Amino acid sequence: MISELLTRLRFLIFRKRRRELDEEIEFHLKQAITTRIAAGMDPAEARRQALIEFGGIEPTREQCERQRPGWWIGTVMQDVHHAFRGFGRNPLFTISVLITLALGIGATTAVFSVVDRILFRPLPYAEPSRIVSLGFVHPLERQEFMMGRFYVEWQKDQTPFSALAAQGTGVHNCDLVESDPMQLSCISFQASFLPLFGISPALGRNFLPEEDRPNGPPVVMISYGLWKVHYNGDPHILDRMIDVDGNPVRVVGVLPKDFQFPTLEAADIVSPFALDPAVQQTVNGGFGGAMRLFARLKPGVSVAQAHAQMQPLFNGDLKWFPPSAKSETRLSIRTLRDRETQDARPVAWVLFGFVLAVLLIACANVAGLMMARGAGRQRELAVRSAIGASRGRLIRQALTESLVLSFAGGLAGLAIAKALVMVFVRLAPTGIPFISKADLDLRIGVFAALVSCLCGVIFGVATALQKPQLAALNAKTSMSRNHAFLRRSLVTTQIAISIILLSGAALLLRSFTKIEEQNLGMQTGGVLTVKVAVPRLRYNTNQKVMDFYLRLESSLRRLPGTRAVGMTDSIPPGGWQDGFRLSDLHVQGEPPIPPGTGGTVVGRSVTPDYFRGLNIPIMRGRNFADQDRTGDEREVILSRLLAERLFPGEDPIGKRFLPGAHVSGAGAIVVGVADNVKNSGLTEQSDPEMYTLRRSVSGDWGGNHLMVIVDSAMPVAAIEPWVRSEVSSIDHTIPVEMEPLNESLNRLADRPRFETTLLGFFALTGLVLAIVGLYGLIAFMTTQRAHEIGVRMALGATRANILRLIAKDGLRMVLMGSAVGLGIALATSHMLKTLLFQVSVYDPLTYILVPLLLSLVALVAILIPARAGTRVEPAITLRAE
Amino acid sequence: MHGWGVAQRIQQLSKDVLQIGQGSLYPALYRLEYKGWIRSEWQTTENNRRAKYYRLTQTGKKQLATELATWDRLSLAIASVLGRATEASS
Repeated sequence: MISELLTRLRFLIFRKRRRELDEEIEFHLKQAITTRIAAGMDPAEARRQALIEFGGIEPTREQCERQRPGWWIGTVMQDVHHAFRGFGRNPLFTISVLITLALGIGATTAVFSVVDRILFRPLPYAEPSRIVSLGFVHPLERQEFMMGRFYVEWQKDQTPFSALAAQGTGVHNCDLVESDPMQLSCISFQASFLPLFGISPALGRNFLPEEDRPNGPPVVMISYGLWKVHYNGDPHILDRMIDVDGNPVRVVGVLPKDFQFPTLEAADIVSPFALDPAVQQTVNGGFGGAMRLFARLKPGVSVAQAHAQMQPLFNGDLKWFPPSAKSETRLSIRTLRDRETQDARPVAWVLFGFVLAVLLIACANVAGLMMARGAGRQRELAVRSAIGASRGRLIRQALTESLVLSFAGGLAGLAIAKALVMVFVRLAPTGIPFISKADLDLRIGVFAALVSCLCGVIFGVATALQKPQLAALNAKTSMSRNHAFLRRSLVTTQIAISIILLSGAALLLRSFTKIEEQNLGMQTGGVLTVKVAVPRLRYNTNQKVMDFYLRLESSLRRLPGTRAVGMTDSIPPGGWQDGFRLSDLHVQGEPPIPPGTGGTVVGRSVTPDYFRGLNIPIMRGRNFADQDRTGDEREVILSRLLAERLFPGEDPIGKRFLPGAHVSGAGAIVVGVADNVKNSGLTEQSDPEMYTLRRSVSGDWGGNHLMVIVDSAMPVAAIEPWVRSEVSSIDHTIPVEMEPLNESLNRLADRPRFETTLLGFFALTGLVLAIVGLYGLIAFMTTQRAHEIGVRMALGATRANILRLIAKDGLRMVLMGSAVGLGIALATSHMLKTLLFQVSVYDPLTYILVPLLLSLVALVAILIPARAGTRVEPAITLRAE
Repeated sequence: MHGWGVAQRIQQLSKDVLQIGQGSLYPALYRLEYKGWIRSEWQTTENNRRAKYYRLTQTGKKQLATELATWDRLSLAIASVLGRATEASS
């Protein structure tokens, strides 16, 4: 066996020289001739007889050559060489296929790499599909939350879960007090948290049960980032005492590098949740502390089953809720993936659909081009077959060509994909989960390449597979009819898909312009928002916080060019803002609003300059005045929407609210009505709003959310350093964050902008591909019909006649495709509904403009090759017969 | 034995029944050589001409024995199917 292999190998390397074989054959013939002459034959006749007996010399030579192991490698090289020559002769075809493959593979791979993380990639936990987020949901908090009182009961009585673990409701600021203080994000979770997610610390250990108790030993775990950057990856970090918010705590573990919190927050320091079951029935009005709750489903239990099993427990909990909250609170259990990807999913699915569509177009295109080329080469194939090429050889040749093309296209595609992913990640807004982790996914790239190359190979070889017909040798137009039909259908399909893609993208574009153009109800230009992270450690009373801000306010007012310095706890239209229920308000002298009706109201606690700074007009009554800030009365200003809802047809000025859940003290008096401001994000319906005066009383300065807005006549960039120096002149250790309001608003529009860009890019890719296909087909058909055109012209047809003839053919495909595409687009556009803002899914403008645009572009793609077709000289084509 | 000789020998032994196309002899010889069953070398013939001589190798002999055994079994089987076992064996 081995010796045989070695022999083969030897012959593979040392080829037998051709001369040797020639010499051998010559010897054979000489012998044959000599024998015959010896038998008395005439020498010439002897030679003739010997040659006949021997058979063909050249076939023998070839046959011998073919015995050599690995001889086919040579023919492959020959095929490749031949293929390149063919490409060079037919650059239009080659470029069309390459563009198609590169764009198709590139675009689909890039977008799929991005979408994959959102839709399909498992989360970085053990058996992530069995982890759920559970708890209550309420119109004011749509993410599941849990209250300690009920958690204690659930832990005892639940059946569907193998484990439960709570995490703090969110990260909060904390100070790491070392040689120089720094502000970090802190969070807490239970000792059962990491095991539930199947995570073990990169260094050290998880919390022990005795540490996860009230008044347990003070320990923390730190993030990998904090360990690496702040502690330089110090291996002796474990058991080190660090000072967090003035309390010495011991580091027991470092979280893994790629660990992500299920809430997708970033935290530097984690402390034990330390739930105290004993007090949960008394604190927070008997509800217990708030938390986020996660659980692992027992094997075989589905989310729906778990929901059904938890429902009785939840119903039992409801009786503790106040009547107003009862009707609005629901039990929610959903998989972690659903929680993490939330509203990214519709977009991701739409993108995924677009990906498939573009891939389909690319495949159809390659198939169509390959078939066209195959049909055009029937004559060549027939000739080659006639002079002795075997079927296998012809098929191999076709296969080689397809593979060479596909390979080149695939490589170009992957390069494009890599570049596109980088662009996408750069463009992507921060809100889309996981996108920063997106990287070129080679599996997808290979998949896309395989699919589109397979199309090319199948259709490329298909033409070589049929026996070349002798008729092809003399026939001028050898395009077989059924292939022509198939090719037309392919192009029609492409047009239809492009229409679908384009109308989808156009709808999003219209929606996006609507978002950009809408009136926010406030001025944003020239306004600077300033966030100051006041360390709670030193500013530990509301009084100290207030003093700081009042000092800051007066020093900022002294800056040149300042028009207004306002303070508020939030800024519309997005981000955190306080909210309460309309039914929490009780107007003096009127019956209370039935609980659970009227929806939610945005609450904002502002100083008088807020309205001046953002240029929000006061419609009735007056603005807060500076002297109100020191008065005893609590003034409020209503938004127009709230005023209309509470006091329809009445003058709201002077009305009083009784003290209640949102109005404290002795109640509040309405002094004015402000115009509506967009306050629920850019795309949602605005909520009614109530502005409360932020008085210079320490009680008004609680809470974690405070920011300063500065409206200045000076350019924003110029006042930034002044603001910074004013802050540091009051307290130089406090970090300042500043951003022009314009920019933060712009960021809000990032998400729709990103979606629109991505889908628009896709639709354009699809369009380009479809047009390339159309152009290629028309060009091909025109050359195929050169003879026919020649005859027609010889018989007196004008160029215009011919042009019409060809264009009609193409336009029929375009019209058919458009009609089908429009139908499907109209039928499926409702899937885009959640992504659209103030644009109907049946937006007439879109559905008129898109087919028009496509038809125009298609017309150009038809006319160019058609015109080239009419330039045919009848004399030349006819003579070519 | 050189190629010509092989062709002649086959013709002689088969009493002119088997006249192989002499052209197809060489591809067969080449294949055998590539498989390592025969070996070739250039030698001078009795009348002083250069010719390529082929010789069975060790593996070639083994292969021949196997092939012969197979052939015997096959021809015996065919013969017995045709009811001529006695004549074939005689």
